[in-house]
Amino acid sequence: MSVRVYIPRDSGALSMGAEAVAGAVAAEARRRRADVAIVRNGSRGLYWLEPMVEVATESGRVAYGPVTSDDVGSLFEAGFLAGGKHRLALGATDEIPYLKRQERLTFGRVGIVDPLSLDDYLEHGGYRALERALELSGAQVVEELSASGLRGRGGAGFPAGIKWKTTLQTEAKRKYIVCNADEGDSGTFADRMIMEGDPFVLLEGMTIAGIAVGATQGYIYLRSEYPHALRTLNAAIAAAAARGYLGENVRECGKPFRIEVRVGAGAYICGEETAMLESLEGRRGMVRYKPPVPAVEGLFGAPTVVNNVITLASVPVIIEKGGNFYKDFGMGRSRGTSPFQLAGNLKHPGLVEKAFGVTLSELVYEYGGGTASGRPLRAVQVGGPLGSYFPASMLEVAMDYEAVAAQGGILGHGGIVVFDDTVDLARMARYAMEFCALESCGKCTPCRIGSTRGMELIDHIIGNRDRAANAALLRDLCDTMTNASLCALGGLTPLPVMSALKHFPQDFGLPGERA
Amino acid sequence: MDIHHLARMANQISEFFATGMEREAAVTSTANHLRNFWEPRMRREIIEYAKNDGAELGEVARAAVLTLE
Amino acid sequence: MQSIDDQDLGTPAAKSEQLVTLEIDGREVTVAAGTSIMRAAALADVQIPRLCATEALAPFGSCRLCIVQIEGRNGFPASCTTPVDAGLKVRTRGERLEGLRRNVMELYMSDHPLDPFQCKAGGKCELHQMAAAVGLEQMRYPAGHNHLDLPVDDSNPYFAFDPTRCILCSRCVRACDEVQGTFALTIDGRGFSSLMSPGQHQHYADSECVSCGACVQACPTDALMEKSLLERGMAERAVITTCGYCGVGCSFKAELRGDRIVRMVPNRNGLPNHGHSCVKGRFAWGYATHPDRALKPMIRKRISDPWTEVSWPEAIDYAASEFKRVQKQHGRGAVGGITSSRCTNEEAYLVQKLVRAAFGNNNVDTCARVCHSPTGYGLKTAFGTPAGTQDFDSVNASDVLVVIGANPTEGHPVFASIMKRRIREGARLMVIDPRAIELIRMPHVEADYHLQLQPGTNVAVLNALAHVAVTEGLANERFVGERCEPAEYAAWKKFIVEQRNSPEAVERMTGVPAEKIRGAARLYARGPNSAIYYGLGVTEHSQGSTAVLAMANLAMVTGNLGRPGVGVNPLRGQNNVQGANDVGSFPHELTGYRHISDPKLRAEFEAAWGAKLDPEPGLRIPNMFDAALDGSFRGLYVEGEDVAQSDPNTHHVTAALSAMEIVVVQDIFLNETAKYAHVFLPGSSFLEKDGTFTNAERRISRVRKVMEPLAGYEDWQVTCLLSNALGYPMEYSHPSEIMDEIARLTPTFSGVSYEKLDRLGSVQWPCNAEAPEGTTVMHVGQFVRGKGRMLVTEYIPTDERTSARYPLILTTGRILTQYNVGTQTRRTRNVLWHLEDRLEIHPHDAEQRGIREGGWVELTSRAGATTLRAQLTDRVPAGVVYTTFHHPESGANVVTTENSDWATNCPEYKVTAVQVMPTRRIPERPTAEQIIRAAEQQIGK
Repeated sequence: MSVRVYIPRDSGALSMGAEAVAGAVAAEARRRRADVAIVRNGSRGLYWLEPMVEVATESGRVAYGPVTSDDVGSLFEAGFLAGGKHRLALGATDEIPYLKRQERLTFGRVGIVDPLSLDDYLEHGGYRALERALELSGAQVVEELSASGLRGRGGAGFPAGIKWKTTLQTEAKRKYIVCNADEGDSGTFADRMIMEGDPFVLLEGMTIAGIAVGATQGYIYLRSEYPHALRTLNAAIAAAAARGYLGENVRECGKPFRIEVRVGAGAYICGEETAMLESLEGRRGMVRYKPPVPAVEGLFGAPTVVNNVITLASVPVIIEKGGNFYKDFGMGRSRGTSPFQLAGNLKHPGLVEKAFGVTLSELVYEYGGGTASGRPLRAVQVGGPLGSYFPASMLEVAMDYEAVAAQGGILGHGGIVVFDDTVDLARMARYAMEFCALESCGKCTPCRIGSTRGMELIDHIIGNRDRAANAALLRDLCDTMTNASLCALGGLTPLPVMSALKHFPQDFGLPGERA
Repeated sequence: MDIHHLARMANQISEFFATGMEREAAVTSTANHLRNFWEPRMRREIIEYAKNDGAELGEVARAAVLTLE
Repeated sequence: MQSIDDQDLGTPAAKSEQLVTLEIDGREVTVAAGTSIMRAAALADVQIPRLCATEALAPFGSCRLCIVQIEGRNGFPASCTTPVDAGLKVRTRGERLEGLRRNVMELYMSDHPLDPFQCKAGGKCELHQMAAAVGLEQMRYPAGHNHLDLPVDDSNPYFAFDPTRCILCSRCVRACDEVQGTFALTIDGRGFSSLMSPGQHQHYADSECVSCGACVQACPTDALMEKSLLERGMAERAVITTCGYCGVGCSFKAELRGDRIVRMVPNRNGLPNHGHSCVKGRFAWGYATHPDRALKPMIRKRISDPWTEVSWPEAIDYAASEFKRVQKQHGRGAVGGITSSRCTNEEAYLVQKLVRAAFGNNNVDTCARVCHSPTGYGLKTAFGTPAGTQDFDSVNASDVLVVIGANPTEGHPVFASIMKRRIREGARLMVIDPRAIELIRMPHVEADYHLQLQPGTNVAVLNALAHVAVTEGLANERFVGERCEPAEYAAWKKFIVEQRNSPEAVERMTGVPAEKIRGAARLYARGPNSAIYYGLGVTEHSQGSTAVLAMANLAMVTGNLGRPGVGVNPLRGQNNVQGANDVGSFPHELTGYRHISDPKLRAEFEAAWGAKLDPEPGLRIPNMFDAALDGSFRGLYVEGEDVAQSDPNTHHVTAALSAMEIVVVQDIFLNETAKYAHVFLPGSSFLEKDGTFTNAERRISRVRKVMEPLAGYEDWQVTCLLSNALGYPMEYSHPSEIMDEIARLTPTFSGVSYEKLDRLGSVQWPCNAEAPEGTTVMHVGQFVRGKGRMLVTEYIPTDERTSARYPLILTTGRILTQYNVGTQTRRTRNVLWHLEDRLEIHPHDAEQRGIREGGWVELTSRAGATTLRAQLTDRVPAGVVYTTFHHPESGANVVTTENSDWATNCPEYKVTAVQVMPTRRIPERPTAEQIIRAAEQQIGK
């Protein structure tokens, strides 16, 4: 029997040379006439160890990493096919503390299965949730979801059950499920890992949503920068359709559900749900006002559930194991788990799926291992480019929607970017405004013009021109953007700016704020 | 006036009515139409023509014209 | 910029009948459910600052000035996009709100020229108004990035776009999308780089823009401004009047500075157009003061003599004496008159009155003869009244729209925009036309069926549609049973189910695949609300009247009459073609379509007019020409119509005119017909007089004098002068007295008066004691004539057939920027868009003949020949060629024949057998550059 060797096909691993490693393993195996079956899995999310090669041994999967193609010969020499000792050996994969201490519900199969194999998915419990959902009424499915306490993982944290219920209860000839896969936040990669590592779980979640609320068509709005995800998703959709998991009569239940992938054109704003709908309809990605909310009047004017990849990918585990199972994780009003994505200046960047409530400090130090540079950590930006900067003194904050908000931040899509003491927060604040000026849809004035003015004011402050007055004006501008912008882009851009001003005034040449 | 033109116009009228009704009704309808829409000098000339030659007039048209006097 | 006296409530009215009460700034307000907070506040006289909102467009929520606070809700919702809710407590004022608004306004002004004196919109600039309203007093931002050095786009002949003044409110883009439906504009780029752009970085002139002016009207600043305003200054007052171009009859505000007109802007309260316009009515009014205007009366003994300018009395006396002389020598019936569909109801009424009372005969006709006379015959025969059955707004209740032989986006653009909007809302569209008109496929509009029939086979296709409806069990037997003549229905049904009327049987002859006809018939019959709109492609045929009857049959058998959303509706070409017909312009009918032979009716008119009336019908226009060549017709009074250019078979017409002894032309220009005239009486444009026009939906609207008549008299006054000189006195001090006389004598008009028109804006006839405010939908419950008539409509092919010598069929049409024979539009900057008429020919036919794009071709028919440049296109099918007829030198009517509709003598313009061959005899015509130069000179650029 051949030995299964796992070499990730995940973009992160590929960027570290996984393709060459896979080639080298295959060549070396041929040369040695070793009976090897290479499985191109997703990433386990331990990115500092990528490419991480795993071997299925009798005692389970063992890992080696980070492997380069130059290491392949020595790995064979060391008998890695039988779990042999090597300087890159990491031992049993599941016992790696970084993984072991996680609570992988949504990411349960990522890195384990072959993302293109429907059989593999089924063997690992896939589509059990759909089978259960088909036995329930739409309302029962929605109830289960509501019971789980699942909130939108895209950033806004809106209860998914309420969205679904609204769409379910809105009468219409046609309804849609739209998956927001326009993962544009800096330092985030959870959506991509799901789509590249376990695409069927997303398809299953969308199918459950469609059957439950009465939608017949699903769209995955994928950012253009994810070509591998596109290929994987399309292959998975074809495989699911070929076996009746998608199509005119899903699993003989009498209801149709189809999924198509639509690729964006590089606009960050299209991650905003209404701009995304405009884009899907073939128009310029421009934010719509709400209400009406998409759940009532969304794509092509029809009731539409718009959920993020992680939200939808979390549905199967909830439906399979029950809302209460999921709800038992987490704290306060933040139930279940969230994939925190550790990035920036860290020793151990990667994906950590943990129940809500884990502290920022745990994530950054215990998982992330502190700064990669070894210099003192100075700031952590939580929640993407529109998230607040937390100073090193505030890392005890629990990762929970409300707790983070209480500290003036947002959890967003779970992106965590770490900076050491070489960072200049005034520059970072300027960057936030610049980002907004570039990525604003241009519809509302506070965002369109305010962002450019903000950038200019920070330049003046940095350049010490009328510093105090311009700083006061900047604060006033931020207040206007927060309160008068049409959507979250203009509304949240002040967060990194104001947090930088508040916690790092010296970077702006300003005196410290009185507590 | 150009009698060929008048004859052709009269024929067109009679053709419409002749396709939709019995001959007698078609003759009456054609005559009524001529009476309602044709100026007297046009009618005079077509009557004159129908009486003396009328070769270019269709059967119903001619019959209708002859009832106009 | 909106009209100077428009009241704008910020967002469109809600349609709900349910009422909601809320509290705004402590005041209780009750409004329709679905109303925006902004509108509710405005209704209660609470003005919330705004820039991107206007009641002409759906709310957008971009400017963020209209934010309010709502008790119990977070944040600062925009009042334009937030609907009212029962019991809401809304605050529109307060330091927090006002501070935010001021800050937003400060951001606007940080990328806008600061000096308000530089603003070309003066006090009407909404940006500056709002800056004052929110109390913006300082600019705290240091100078920064801006868009103040962008170049102005003045490529459009009528308006300029200055991007430095643009505030990115998208009102222009939304107006182009929502109101006009052309989708020519967009916001290009993202973020701070966002710019309004026609097409993709195009100039206006190179884009899809159709110059309807909606964007310019929607613009709150001086970014988009009419050049006329830039040149002449801002308006001081506005006069509401009615457009003088097509039969849509848009209501306009003529804006004036002093006594000078500075722009025409559509009237938001105008019921035909609801504030929309097209390039002609909105911009092409410069002809009224064009140097070509002939302003002096002139006479000459012979048409070969030069004109002599004379005084008004001399011209009038000469004309009258000549008419009297001719009548004395050649009989009472030797003279006649033509009323104008371009003039007012009152003027058309006076001309026919002059003919009947002063000339003492009924030789009066109008240009409806050559366009919609079959509509008059057909609809009167079938339903009892010769007019469209609906109002325009009826479209908003239609599920299926059928367009037959009409090209609304070119000919009736404002109505086309209403149709397009309905189609975008989900209505289905079927087009029956030999040519692939624009409506078949354009942004967000696509016809479900295009029945591309051979010219001249309308009746066969209409019969086949009815055949399918009846044989497939889709007839509405209950409707027909209750509403139609049973014996005629039985006879018709027997006829229509015959196999020869089946789609399969007519497929070959019509060129339309049978399955398409079947599908289209099912679509129409199933509706549930199906409406037919048609144009001259139906009427201008030898079977024009039969086709109108066939449409009426189709509507009756499927029950598509007598309620909103259905009906049979002519799209009238001229502003007042309906009205001219209504007020007695046809030779056989007095006002209200009552036959002259009725002694009781005549007695009534004789008593009122104090004149003896001839009981016999008079000559129709083509009959007049025939009689002229015969020598029995020698004098003609033509008001506002260019028969020499617009009537078919030009050689025949000019020979007839040349044979006359006294031709009196009353017109604003020395038109083609004036070349054959002995007396020229200067006319007045629609801007120079009072009166009324009646549009295609029977709507009577006021025309109001905007400026004094340039030649001294309004047209109705000239007719009075001539009548007085003829010895029949006409004494009116104002056109309202003429309308009062029409109302006294006409049952369908008895409730019409200027007082009522001023009060209601407009009314649709019938307007009388039973319907004091007029009638929107006709034939509700029963037809005007009682039971509807369904006559057998046998298809009889026209005599005009192709042959080896004339193997192609010529059909004609229009283009958006030009109007009919171009007398007016060629004297405006519109000519820049259409320098010449071209002959559209299918590439296949062109290749066979060696014809190249733009090459000169000779177009020959049995009647004559002319020379045009070819345009290769597959909009026309092989075997069919097409041209417009806006330029006199194109001579389209040189080739059209004397064939005509059997019932009405309406010419068969739409079918002429022709040959087309390349020619080396290039006519002496100006080059494009010369035309442009001449045009620019004319328009004083």
